[in-house]
Amino acid sequence: MKNENQNKQALIVTLSVIVFFICSACSLMNALYCFSDCIGSIVSGSPDVAAKDALRSLPIFLSFFLSLSGLMVAHTFYRNESPKILKKNAKKHACIGAVLGVLLIVYVIAGLITGRYLSIAEGAPSPIYPLDAVLYALLFIAIAIFIFRYFKTTEEGKLYNGPVRAPIAKKGKFIRCFFRTIWLLIALYGFCGFFYSFFIVDFVHGYTSYSLAVMLVSLVACLSIAVWELYYNNLSEEERRAKTLKLSLILLCVTVVSAVLYFVGLRNSLDGPSNVGFGILPVAFTASVNFATLVVVFTPLIVAVTGLIKGLIRKAAAKK
Amino acid sequence: MKKRLFCIILSVIMLFSFTGCTETMAYGENLEEYIVTMQYHDQFNILQLTDIHWNANTSAKSSMIYMDKLLKEVNDHIVSTQGEGSKIDLVELTGDMLMLANSYHLKTFINYFEQKAEEYGFVYAPVWGNHDRQGLYNSNTLAKRFSEAPHCLYFEPNDDLYGRSNYIINLTEDGSTSSKVDWMIANLDSGASFSETELSVFRDYDYIRPEQTEWFLREHELAGEDVPVIAYYHIPQDENDKVWTAVTEDGANIRNKFFKLEDFADNGNEKYASNFIDEAKKHNLKGAFMGHAHNVDWTYEEDGVVVGLGVKTGPELYFAHIKTDSEDPAMQEGLSSVGINENFDLIGASLVTLKDQSGSFDLEHLYFNERKDGDFAAWVKW
Repeated sequence: MKNENQNKQALIVTLSVIVFFICSACSLMNALYCFSDCIGSIVSGSPDVAAKDALRSLPIFLSFFLSLSGLMVAHTFYRNESPKILKKNAKKHACIGAVLGVLLIVYVIAGLITGRYLSIAEGAPSPIYPLDAVLYALLFIAIAIFIFRYFKTTEEGKLYNGPVRAPIAKKGKFIRCFFRTIWLLIALYGFCGFFYSFFIVDFVHGYTSYSLAVMLVSLVACLSIAVWELYYNNLSEEERRAKTLKLSLILLCVTVVSAVLYFVGLRNSLDGPSNVGFGILPVAFTASVNFATLVVVFTPLIVAVTGLIKGLIRKAAAKK
Repeated sequence: MKKRLFCIILSVIMLFSFTGCTETMAYGENLEEYIVTMQYHDQFNILQLTDIHWNANTSAKSSMIYMDKLLKEVNDHIVSTQGEGSKIDLVELTGDMLMLANSYHLKTFINYFEQKAEEYGFVYAPVWGNHDRQGLYNSNTLAKRFSEAPHCLYFEPNDDLYGRSNYIINLTEDGSTSSKVDWMIANLDSGASFSETELSVFRDYDYIRPEQTEWFLREHELAGEDVPVIAYYHIPQDENDKVWTAVTEDGANIRNKFFKLEDFADNGNEKYASNFIDEAKKHNLKGAFMGHAHNVDWTYEEDGVVVGLGVKTGPELYFAHIKTDSEDPAMQEGLSSVGINENFDLIGASLVTLKDQSGSFDLEHLYFNERKDGDFAAWVKW
């Protein structure tokens, strides 16, 4: 019986991680659309066009927040501080998803009535937009209903608990949470960017080395999240103390090598960032800066250096 | 385990080396490979559509409705001014057709132009803009789909010439490559942007590189020294900036018209000044038309070469709102130059009509706005 329960728990954890990463990919796709839309409209200088565009694309923005709510539900199931918090947070995020879903559906219906959409499947950016957004909203409403029913109908003792994580230390909690969130977002961006890059980078026209370099730094960002978030954070406190220095040294070497290779690749194709895989760099073009890639290059480096400092401090403290 | 890892790494390296090492053509030794031909006739009509800018926000359906009306207006105008049987012969799409669009936009865009090409009997020739590279599709997909579209003249050799859409449309006596060239239409890729060094935080706008100029000059020599040329590309070059300064600082005797609302050269760095127009002038360049700047459609003529912007096509992203009660002297000057006495948006198209083989042509700008109480259409001659 115990084994059966453990298997069930393991299955749900695995599912949660898979859903978490799928939701991340969806969030990234939505974010690409949202940020490019926003930036395109804002810099346009024609407020009338910007307003028209924003109103047309509102379901895309709402879909982004729907994906985020799904991401939060999956993350809560994957790891939480206690069964009580799991129940509370899962219901909260599912509820947000359901409300956003309803809002989206109402908005599209209103858009159809007022003529904003020429038909329910007018097309662009997908062949059936905004119908796809409506279907997406329905999916999240269904998920929310399932979660509420699950917590309502399942007996207290049989509820899924998931891996329990230690609460974040109170000292500097805000700073820790802030930087962790930023890092997670960038690392996820790298993660999705890596898989997406297979479809959009250019291995001809002299861009091979730059394309490989972009894929490499995205992969390292992805590796960074895998090591720290999926491996390190699941270790016991003692194991963490023992492995911090070693892990951060390895990751520092990997990130330094990848950063150097990135700059070598860039040197070979100085017009690479504006020609290769631009779709995964939505922020970069607005200010004509190499912002997005640099962030992806340097974040794992900063995380590795932070880990190294932490490891050294712990080592020094242990010697005392 | 080590053997397996070695095999995997070797396979990956081989895969990338196969994809990365396709044979590169030397442009200097393959000048004929860049040429397509069409049959020339007097009153050859080239319609320039620019900066259509389908993006993630775009309702493709609404945009197609606008372009349907625009193309009909152009066709009707050509028939009424040139007679039955006249038509749009060539559509030049001078860049920024898309921006952060996806494969669906791309497919719909090409299908639309294929359908219209069939309906009106034209062929179309796209050149890359800076934003066309900013797609959620692979840039090669865009190149491949345009190359495969039956009415599209675009092709892209895997060459050592900088840029992608560098190709020549020679208008010849009978449409074959062996007959005399009457006009040359040069399409150039003015790029997107580049970093000065690998450590640069900022990027500069790209420019027509000296090797592209050299390529053009050699193509022109091949066609014949006296062949008149019109060039189409996306990003305005350094010469435009110099003329802008000359005209706006009074006293310059340079003919100019339409709406001189903002400077329209982008790089601005002398180090990256393109030599294209300066050199092409010596090779019978008659006109150079571009896009990129949406708030302006200024055109000037210097040393017998007409250089100007096309009128932005369609209401995506941004464009200038022309107001008759504006206190902006540039807008008032523009209004008096075109003789329009009502408010309108600076969107539409521009039309070049090649009159004869001597190198003379007509240029007209069309301002076309959709309106609930009847669409607005105004044709203005250069």
